[in-house]
Amino acid sequence: MDNILDIKELGKMIDEIETAANGLIEKAQGIQAIERNAERILASTTMLKINVSDLID
Amino acid sequence: MFPKSDRFWNPLLETLPREKIRELQVKKFRRIMKWAFEHSKFHHQLYKDAGMEPGDVKTLEDIARVPKVEKSMMRGIQKKDPYPYGDMLCVPLEDVTEFRQTSGTTGQPVYQPDTWQDWEWWAEAWAYILYSQGYRKSDRVFIPFGYNIFVAFWAGHYGAEKLGCEVVPGGVLNTEARLLKMQELRATATMATPTYILGMADIARKKLGIDPATDLNIQKITCAGEPGASIPSTKKRMEEAWGAKVYDHIGATEIGAWSYECEEQPGGLHVNEGLFLVQIEDVETGEIIEEPNKRGKMVITAFDRLAQPCIRFDSKDIIMWHEQECPCGRTFRMIKGGVVGRADDITKVKGVLLAPTAIEEAVRGVPELGDEYEVTVTKRGDTDDISLKVELQTEAENLKEKVLAKLNDQLRLKTNLRYNISFHPYGSLPRYDVKAKRFKDLRKDH
Repeated sequence: MDNILDIKELGKMIDEIETAANGLIEKAQGIQAIERNAERILASTTMLKINVSDLID
Repeated sequence: MFPKSDRFWNPLLETLPREKIRELQVKKFRRIMKWAFEHSKFHHQLYKDAGMEPGDVKTLEDIARVPKVEKSMMRGIQKKDPYPYGDMLCVPLEDVTEFRQTSGTTGQPVYQPDTWQDWEWWAEAWAYILYSQGYRKSDRVFIPFGYNIFVAFWAGHYGAEKLGCEVVPGGVLNTEARLLKMQELRATATMATPTYILGMADIARKKLGIDPATDLNIQKITCAGEPGASIPSTKKRMEEAWGAKVYDHIGATEIGAWSYECEEQPGGLHVNEGLFLVQIEDVETGEIIEEPNKRGKMVITAFDRLAQPCIRFDSKDIIMWHEQECPCGRTFRMIKGGVVGRADDITKVKGVLLAPTAIEEAVRGVPELGDEYEVTVTKRGDTDDISLKVELQTEAENLKEKVLAKLNDQLRLKTNLRYNISFHPYGSLPRYDVKAKRFKDLRKDH
């Protein structure tokens, strides 16, 4: 395991996942198969934020 | 920088320097308080009445001034709109995906709504627990429990899945069938209450002729629901019976899975301080206790649970900080010996404060006795009377007097009280699958 970890970079990538999932919901035009799965991505993204992004000042 | 090690689920959080943990906790407390203030009528009113707003919280000392929430308050608002949760609910009702309720041990059950994100959070908290206890992708985890409206082991199941374990739900099978399935599948880990772990071992030996320590492949056991895995004599019995490491964890429906014993088994449990803030209050004065080895009542906050937040919840659990740091390298503080009692459980008998866990420690410390026992406190005139029923192991029937002397010594040492002890045939006292009720206080004024 490399212990030089750029958590700011990780935080940025997590934000990008969140933006992409929200984008999917916006453009889904009500298709539940897209909206609900994107909601699940957002729930998992929140766990990444709890584990990583919250540590960024 | 963080340690190069595969022993942490998240080394970024679990090895964070203490001052950074404190900063993070204040930041996260303010965030969940703001969320509740803006989304829950109950919390909004609670904080308004106290003259506080989330922006007022800048330090841990400020947090200690935020009003507490008691279970009775939660019961008071439930069954109202939005039905059945009442106005502590912070999300639209249609966003709730999970219903659970407390067991009702101390009164009317409390209902707990969770969104899918909250449920992910439950599994995340359990991932911390299981990873610290050595669970890995290669484990096959057998859960001998009938899932239902209680949260017990649901989250353990999802947490184990999150780690990549293979999970076997052993729900509707009876105990014999569960044991045989564990044996057939060569399950490597299991989760249950201490009572059921001991009960399963007993049935394996006596009804199936299986010795769990040698005939099964269970290497790790995670306990929940009762304090047994933090009571040394009960833990020893379980570890010997199964030939496995036994770990404790503590959680609650209305809180989450907030604490875990790691592989080092350091005589205490880590508080997951990345997800929770635990404060220990002096029961008499309400002062926050920071020094180790001083018992007090736990007030707890879950930072990331959104549907029905848990903020400064007065759990009534009696705990104390451990004086040591854990050799595992986690910087999360430890509580010593798990939950050592409940504020409404610790009772005065003959003028002496008695925690029922101390009786368990004494009984289970006598190897000639069975696992089950029953304590009843009554009043005879003005005097308290405690009777204790125990079972002698069949092979120890000729040793009654010796065992009685040993048990009396243990009880005096651990509880400083005298008991009317009676011996009962092995297998005659009630057996429990989930939460055991071995302590009965029948005095009228209790």
